[in-house]
Amino acid sequence: MPGRALLMDFPVTATSHLLADYRARGGYATLRKVLTSMKPEQVTKEVTASGILGHGGAAFPAGRKWQVIHLDDGQPHYLCANADEGEPGTFKDRWILENAPHRLVESMAIAGYALQVRHAFVYIRGEFDLPYRRLQAAVDEAYDAGLLGERILDTDFAMDLVVYRGAGSYVCGEASGLLASIEGRKGYPRNRPPRLTVKGLFKRPTVVNNVETLANLTTILAMGGEAFKQIGAPKSPGTQLVSISGHVSKPGVYEVEYGYPVAKFIYDDCGGVLAGRKLKCIVPGGISTKVLTAAEIETVTYDHASFTKAGSGVGSGGMIVIAEGTCMVRLLQVMIRFYHHESCGQCTPCRDGMGWMHKLIDGIVAGRGQSGDLERMELIAKANDGTTICGMGDACGYAVVGILAKYRDEFEYWIVHGRSKFDGRLEVDAAELAHA
Amino acid sequence: MPEIFVDGIAIEAKDGQTVMEAARDAGIYIPGFCWHPNLSIAGNCRLCMVEVEGESGGWMDIACNMPATRGMHVLTNSPKVQERRKAMLELVLLNHPVDCGVCDKAGECMLQDYHYEHNGAPSVATVAKHRTTKFHELSKRILLDNERCVLCSRCVRFTKEVSKSHALGILDRGDHSLVRCDEKRSLDDDPYSDNVVDLCPVGALLSKRFLYKSRVWYLDQTPSVCPGCERGCSVDLWHRKAEWKFAALDPRHNVAIERVTPRENPAVNGPWICNKARDLPDLLERPRGAGPMLKGARVDLGEAAGAARRLIDAARHPVALISSWASNEELDSARATLLPRFRCFVKADHLPQPGERVADDVLILPDKNPNGRRARELFGSAPAALDGADLVLIWGEGFDFAQVPRGAKTILMSPFLAPENGHADAYFATTLQTERSGHYTNFEGVVSAFAPIRPAPAGTVDAATLFGMIAAVARVSA
Repeated sequence: MPGRALLMDFPVTATSHLLADYRARGGYATLRKVLTSMKPEQVTKEVTASGILGHGGAAFPAGRKWQVIHLDDGQPHYLCANADEGEPGTFKDRWILENAPHRLVESMAIAGYALQVRHAFVYIRGEFDLPYRRLQAAVDEAYDAGLLGERILDTDFAMDLVVYRGAGSYVCGEASGLLASIEGRKGYPRNRPPRLTVKGLFKRPTVVNNVETLANLTTILAMGGEAFKQIGAPKSPGTQLVSISGHVSKPGVYEVEYGYPVAKFIYDDCGGVLAGRKLKCIVPGGISTKVLTAAEIETVTYDHASFTKAGSGVGSGGMIVIAEGTCMVRLLQVMIRFYHHESCGQCTPCRDGMGWMHKLIDGIVAGRGQSGDLERMELIAKANDGTTICGMGDACGYAVVGILAKYRDEFEYWIVHGRSKFDGRLEVDAAELAHA
Repeated sequence: MPEIFVDGIAIEAKDGQTVMEAARDAGIYIPGFCWHPNLSIAGNCRLCMVEVEGESGGWMDIACNMPATRGMHVLTNSPKVQERRKAMLELVLLNHPVDCGVCDKAGECMLQDYHYEHNGAPSVATVAKHRTTKFHELSKRILLDNERCVLCSRCVRFTKEVSKSHALGILDRGDHSLVRCDEKRSLDDDPYSDNVVDLCPVGALLSKRFLYKSRVWYLDQTPSVCPGCERGCSVDLWHRKAEWKFAALDPRHNVAIERVTPRENPAVNGPWICNKARDLPDLLERPRGAGPMLKGARVDLGEAAGAARRLIDAARHPVALISSWASNEELDSARATLLPRFRCFVKADHLPQPGERVADDVLILPDKNPNGRRARELFGSAPAALDGADLVLIWGEGFDFAQVPRGAKTILMSPFLAPENGHADAYFATTLQTERSGHYTNFEGVVSAFAPIRPAPAGTVDAATLFGMIAAVARVSA
C-alpha cells in the first residue's frame, strides 16, 4: 500500500462487510464514544480541526461546510451521502459501499449527531447493484442492532437512514441535482445562492458529502482531528482512495496517503503501464481533470497542492493511465460523447455547447475536419468556463482544453490527413500480455 | 437599502433585491431570456452574466440570481461580459433555424434584438443544425416550434407558478430537451394558456389565432379594457396601422382586432390576461345591428328617437334595464336622463357560458360584465321587477323578451344583430367600446380607460348621444 491505510485497513473476505466482522474490527466503538461523551459542536470542531477536504472532486473543506449549519435554528437538517459515483474512471466509493458499508453507516450516524439530523439519505447510483444490496443489508443490520432509528445505542439520539437509488444520470451526482432527484423532481442542478447548507433538501439546511469523506469521519473521531491532520501532506490531510484503470498492469482501488509520489504509485505500486509500454499521460482524477503527461508527473506528489501546481487536480481520485500509442482524438471523442449524453440541458452553454463539440469531434474523426474546428472547440470550452449552473460545463472545458493544449498535433494530423496519427487504439499483443 | 454600483452608477437597491432587479429599476437594462419579473428565477439562459469587481480580480455570475450586497461594483458591459454574451448568443443560435422571415415573433423577438445588439456577427458554426419537431400541437390554441425554442422554461414556470395548471414540462435532457405537455394534464384546460405565447422570448410558442395573420410591425396597439369579467383587465388591441391599410382585400381586415395582448397593469391584472380576453374578437366582432328600426322597419335616427320619446311620454310605469357593459360616462348620462322618469334596474348582459371557468384565484371573476360595480352604485342592486310596467327600455344584451309584461312597449338598445331587434317597438344599434372612448370601474373600484380603434359603423349611435337626443326631443315636445 502506498502509505498509511485508514479505510482499507482490513483484509477483504466473504464476510468482512457484515456487522459481526465490522464489530470485531472495533466498529461502532467510535459512534458510542461520540454519542456518550461528546457534544455535537465538539464533533464539528474535530472535523474542522482535521482539515479533511471533500473527496468527491471539488475538495471543499468538510468542516467549513458543516459550520454553516446552525444547530439551534429550529429547522430540520438533512445529511446526504453522495454515492452517485458517476465520474468516468472513478470507482472508489464503490469499494467502500461493497466492502465497508458499516463504515459509512457509522460515519453517517456520527455526522448526523454532529449536525442534529433526524433523516439522513444515501443517494446511490442506479447502476450500482452489489453496492446497493450490501449497503441496504448493512442499514438493515444496523437498524436491527439499534445502531439506527430511535434511541441509537440507548442514547437520546435518533436518526433514520434512507438509501435512495438514482436512475443513472451523471448530473444527479452534483449536490443540488442529487437533492432535486431525492425530492422526486428532475435532476436539474440549481443556482447558488442560496447554498445547500442554507436551503437544500426540502428547502432545509442540508449537508451533502461524498461517501469517502464521510467514511473518514470514524477515523477522525477515533484518533482526533489534530492527529488526523498529521497524516498525509500539508493542507491535504489523510488518504485518498484512488481507482486506477486504463493501460495499467494492476488496475483497481488503492489507498494512497497524500504526499505519495505519483510516478512511484503508478510504476511500482500499480505495476507500471500495461505490457511494458511507455506512459503517455494520465488523467489524474476523473475525466474532468486536465491530463498530465508522463514528464509532468515525474515530480508530482499525490496531494492537492502538487496537482494544482502541475495544472490539474486530485478530482475524484479516478486515475486513468494512457499508454504511448493511444490516439488522443479518439479519447477526447469518447469523453465528449459522454458529456453530450449527460448534459441535463438546463443552461445554454452546456446544452448547446456539448452537442456542438460532439458534432465537431465526430466530424474530425470521420475525416470531415476543417481548419478552425479546434478553435471552435476552444471557443465552446471558453463559453462554458464558469458560466454554467453546475460544474459540468467547466469540467468538459478542462478536459478539452487540457488535451488540446498538449496533443494539438494529433488533432491537426487527423484534420489534415483524415486519419489517426496512431493505429487508433493500443493493440496489445496476447503473447506479450501473457508474458507480462 | 444596500447601495450598489452598476457600471459606476450608484444605485439604491431594495432589501432582498437581486442585481438584475435593482439595475432594471434604475433603468439599466441587463439582457436575459429566462428572467421574468413575475416568475421564479431559473438562471438557465446565462445571458445576464455580469462581472463583479473584487480585490482578487473579480468574478462573473448571473445578475438574475445575484443578491445586491452593499458596496458591490457590477459591470454590465465590460469586455469580458460582452465576450460571454456574444458566445452565449452564438450557442443559442447554433440550432435555431433563423427563419425570422416566416416567424410570427419577428419584430418583437428577444433573440433578434439581443443578437443585433450583442453579437451581430455571422455564425462561426459549420455543423448541421439539430432538427426536431415543428408545429407540435401543444393545445388547441398553441403550436410549438421546438427548433426555435431556447429552453428558457418561462412557459413551464408560468404553468407551475401562475396558472397552476402544471400542464407543461421539459422532456428528455441535453440538447434533445423538449417542452411538452404533461401526459395527464392538458393545456386546453388552462384558461391562461395563451400567456405563454407572450412569455416566449422567441417564436417557439405560437398562437393559432394569430398564426401568419400579420407581421407585427404592420400593427398598432390601442389600450383597452377587457369586458369579459368584472376584473376589467388592461389589454392592448392590435389592429392594422392606418398607413398599412389594405386597398384590395376585404376592408374588414383594416378594422379588425388582429390580436389581444395584456397591457401590464399591476393594479389590475399584472402582466397576464385569460384566454377569454384573447378571444375578444369573437365577442366584439359579431354581426352588428344595421340601424334604428321601429317594429322591424328601418327608419332614420331622428325618427326613431322621436318615436322612442313618444313611447316614454305615453308610459305610466316605464322600467329601464341598465347595461352593465356601459361605460362610466354612459351610466352618468343614463342617470341624468333616465332616472327621473324610469324605475331602473341593473342587468347582467352576460352570464357564464357552459364550459367557461366561472372564477378562480388568478384573474377570472364570476360577474362576466365589466362595469357592474359602477352600474349598481348608480342604480342600486335590486333584482329587476317588471310587474306592472307598460314600457321596458332594454339597454344591452342578455334579456329574455318573454319577461316583458303583456301589452308593454319595448325600446331596445343593443349593438349586435339579434331576432329581438325586429320585435322591439323601437330599436337602436349602439356603438361598441372599440368605437368610442370611455372608462370602466372594476370590482375593486379601479377605473380603466379604453380608446377607439375604428370609427363607428353607419347607423349606430352612442348610448350617451341617444339619451341626449331623447332628452332633447323631450324638451322640444314639452
